[in-house]
Amino acid sequence: MRLGVIVSDFRNMDETLSRLKADKLGVIFVSNGVYHTATKEGGKKSPLLEKSPNMYVLTEDLQSRGFSEVQIDSRVKPVTYSDLVDVIFNDYDKTIWI
Amino acid sequence: MATVKLGFIVKSLPYKTEASRLALTHAIASQTVEIYLEDGDMVEPVVAFIGDGVLNCLKNQKAMNMYGVTSLEQHLKNSLLLDMRVLICKEDMEKLGLSEDALIMDAEDIGGETKANIAPFSEIMKEMDSTNHLLFF
Amino acid sequence: MGKLTIGVFSSLVGSLSLDFAVKLADAAIKKGHKVDMWVSGNATMLSKKGQRAFKDYSALEKKLHEMFASGSFQATACEACAEARGFHKEDTMEGWKRHSMDWYLASTFSADRVLHIGGD
Repeated sequence: MRLGVIVSDFRNMDETLSRLKADKLGVIFVSNGVYHTATKEGGKKSPLLEKSPNMYVLTEDLQSRGFSEVQIDSRVKPVTYSDLVDVIFNDYDKTIWI
Repeated sequence: MATVKLGFIVKSLPYKTEASRLALTHAIASQTVEIYLEDGDMVEPVVAFIGDGVLNCLKNQKAMNMYGVTSLEQHLKNSLLLDMRVLICKEDMEKLGLSEDALIMDAEDIGGETKANIAPFSEIMKEMDSTNHLLFF
Repeated sequence: MGKLTIGVFSSLVGSLSLDFAVKLADAAIKKGHKVDMWVSGNATMLSKKGQRAFKDYSALEKKLHEMFASGSFQATACEACAEARGFHKEDTMEGWKRHSMDWYLASTFSADRVLHIGGD
């Protein structure tokens, strides 16, 4: 299964995400989930950034919260809504929202 | 003729939000979906309770008495009465100190024959893999 | 091109999850896909007509009208959820349908992709 997981919040996401197993796991940060890509709590990057080599962040939600693309972790790919449509249709069989 | 399998994965606690209630009412709606489909086509739901969501499965819920609303217990029993496949995560039960005796495992009191299954998360993950679409609540 | 079914349960005002759903649907339509949207629970408020746009609240009605006009978008609200919140068929925005929950499941039957946004 190719599973895309839309992470929509900053807290209480790790427990669900860590348990999900897939042949290809993608993590898409939106809404308050974008804080995982650009903040360092206690000087450390979010552990969610270690969950998958396939990570995306919605630029609109990032910019809305005061960040720019240069501030995000280099492993995360910035995407627009249009890009996200392609990710959902082409890169994953199922996409869930947590 | 085709069957589309939908996974209703419940991770939310009951009552404070509508999420787990809507998971079960939508899953139960699979019983009448045929009116929109071609003959022989169907939607097959499977419901899995994970994380805090396992607390939806506790017995002796008095929501009708206290809030005047149907309890999640009743919705779960209705799901079992309709022979829906229901899985409850074993690891999360243990984490929350719940025994099988504390949970709704059947709907015998309303004539149901199907039982809920306590399953390790790995089995629930396999079930998710086998679905066409996943809906997290 | 494919079909995307989006189910949303989030409030119209507050979480911005409905905004996300509408913007994603709009982007999918613009790429040539067909989109079905199902709103249930608190999200049924999206289907209520007469929403007034203020700058402190989400205002999605104009965008929805554009999406309906595309011919590639249909949207349905949970009838029981709407009635429970005190708005009726005559209060429903033009373009919207109201059905029971089985409509959503039927839409997923023929969908290539389903995104269910279950948060409050």
